[in-house]
Amino acid sequence: MIFKIAWRNIYRNKKRSLITITSVFAALFLIILMRALQFGFYDKLIETVVESYAGYVEIHADGFWDNQSLDNSMQVDQQLLDDIQSVEGVENIVQRLQTFSLISVGEKTKGGVINGINLSEEQKITDWNKKMVSGSFDLSDNEIIIAKGIAEFFGISENDTLILYGQGYRGMMAAGKYPIKGVIDLKNPDLNKIGLFMTMESVRNYVSSDEISTHIIIGKEKYYDEDKIVENLGLILSDDYEVMTWKETLPEIEQTITADSAGGLIMAFILYVIVVFGMFGTVLMMTEERKYEFGVLISIGMSRIRLFGIILVETIILSMAGVLLAIIVTYPICIYYNINPIDMAILMGDGAEQMMEEMGFSPVAPMSTSWDIPLSHSLVIFIFSLLISIYPAIKISKLNPVKSMKV
Amino acid sequence: MIETKKLIKIYNPGKFEVKAVNDVSTVFAEGEFTAVVGPSGSGKTTFLNCVGGLDTPSSGDVIISDEKITKFSGAEIIKYRLNNIGFVFQAYNLIPVLSAKENIEMIMLLQGANEKSRKTRTDELLNQVGLYEMRNRRPSQLSGGQQQRVAVARALASKPKFILADEPTANLDTSSTSNLLNIMNKLNENEKITFIFSTHDQRVIDRARRVVTLEDGKIVNDIKK
Repeated sequence: MIFKIAWRNIYRNKKRSLITITSVFAALFLIILMRALQFGFYDKLIETVVESYAGYVEIHADGFWDNQSLDNSMQVDQQLLDDIQSVEGVENIVQRLQTFSLISVGEKTKGGVINGINLSEEQKITDWNKKMVSGSFDLSDNEIIIAKGIAEFFGISENDTLILYGQGYRGMMAAGKYPIKGVIDLKNPDLNKIGLFMTMESVRNYVSSDEISTHIIIGKEKYYDEDKIVENLGLILSDDYEVMTWKETLPEIEQTITADSAGGLIMAFILYVIVVFGMFGTVLMMTEERKYEFGVLISIGMSRIRLFGIILVETIILSMAGVLLAIIVTYPICIYYNINPIDMAILMGDGAEQMMEEMGFSPVAPMSTSWDIPLSHSLVIFIFSLLISIYPAIKISKLNPVKSMKV
Repeated sequence: MIETKKLIKIYNPGKFEVKAVNDVSTVFAEGEFTAVVGPSGSGKTTFLNCVGGLDTPSSGDVIISDEKITKFSGAEIIKYRLNNIGFVFQAYNLIPVLSAKENIEMIMLLQGANEKSRKTRTDELLNQVGLYEMRNRRPSQLSGGQQQRVAVARALASKPKFILADEPTANLDTSSTSNLLNIMNKLNENEKITFIFSTHDQRVIDRARRVVTLEDGKIVNDIKK
């Protein structure tokens, strides 16, 4: 009966209900699209940065991150890999062996980071094979791919040779001469100055250890929360390992996103203020003009709680109708622009497009289709509806049926 | 039985106080058909509101079937009204978004009655007030007389001990008044429901078996016919 009365009251004042629903819809429509574009851009940014080198989640031997030495490496067996693969949200895993080394060509030397990789597995996580400037991403043992910055520094290219000299595992000396198989542009100025790639076996030979790895890189399912993966990994891994997300390994990316997202939240807040005042206006009028009716209902025996229930249901129906409409309209738009991303040149001009390409970002912004966006904002509207209902609740609790029926 | 003991209701206590009900002590026995009469401002409606627990008296007591309702809390009195007192108002006061049937049924729903008993009782009441055919009409689709008959049916829905009617015929034409009084009279005689009216209407006064006259909040006359 509460639902029936509430629904019919909404229908009784069709125009006002329509205006309220429209205001909720319009604000949420803008909020969802704005946040979907923002988060889509962030996802792309994270994807570009994280998938170009790091992983969404990384596992190292405990203490490796603070002291990145081969002595803090780990031995990975198939059981461990199977356990990690079984964790919900984990899509791909790959091992790496990373070590620092001195690079020498002729009279020149410089520092670099050697990445021992498994070529076929690596392509499930990173897109290095697509970033080759010369040569191919097809390494044989004792061949090396060098980053663009190193090639430029030494003035070397494909088929040239370089010498690596560094420290091996547990105090061993590491040295070797390697022919260059190709040059890669990692689309990141810092990584381009230091990046070297060899097969896992070649690097293990170089550091004189057959079994060690320094990283297990995890690729996750789209939109799956990496923090949840870390939490689940914590349940199956011992204290011998440390698990870190990209937010810890690349904190500057998260800081950039947080700062930029704050702008979007301020905009959303302004829209919320408009919605809340619109809804409050409706509830205020609804309460004031129906005092007489409330007085009647209380006098014939309806409890104040039930009466408040009617108003609460009315407020929730009004707000949720707007919310539902906004989700129904915006979600197909988000899906469309996820499949057909917006060209950043249209939004920011041609200069931005070129700059982004140079930085390794694709100059398109796909909209996020994550349900977190519409659901979280719907929840905010729902909470506001409950808060707005405090006004009629107070009015009803103080209502004197005799006085209200004299109006 | 309803008993009022030294009932006083003062509005605006202090400088500009108005004694709407002034030391009224009386008893309404079960099955009475009573008209409370008096000029405008004599305190009829306030007296009825205090008896029905809609208004809180400044002092004195209202005792219904040995229960001192003036001592009830806000929630208790609402529950008591729901189960024991039927109200009929001058302006009908039906819920505009509900049909005649739903207005009546709502009372039983509030009482927690099951669907079957609600339906049976609603149909019975609609037949009693002669509106079964119009059960699905909303108040705006009914005449004033028909709305007041629905209001009477609604007041009876909870099977109350008594019905308080505040100027129930004030907005009705002669035939509607006569029709309504016939229904109330029949209910009073057949089902022994106690009716207390506040009224100016001579037609109601003529049908009443007891007439209590109020002036300046005091009973100045009490005639049993």
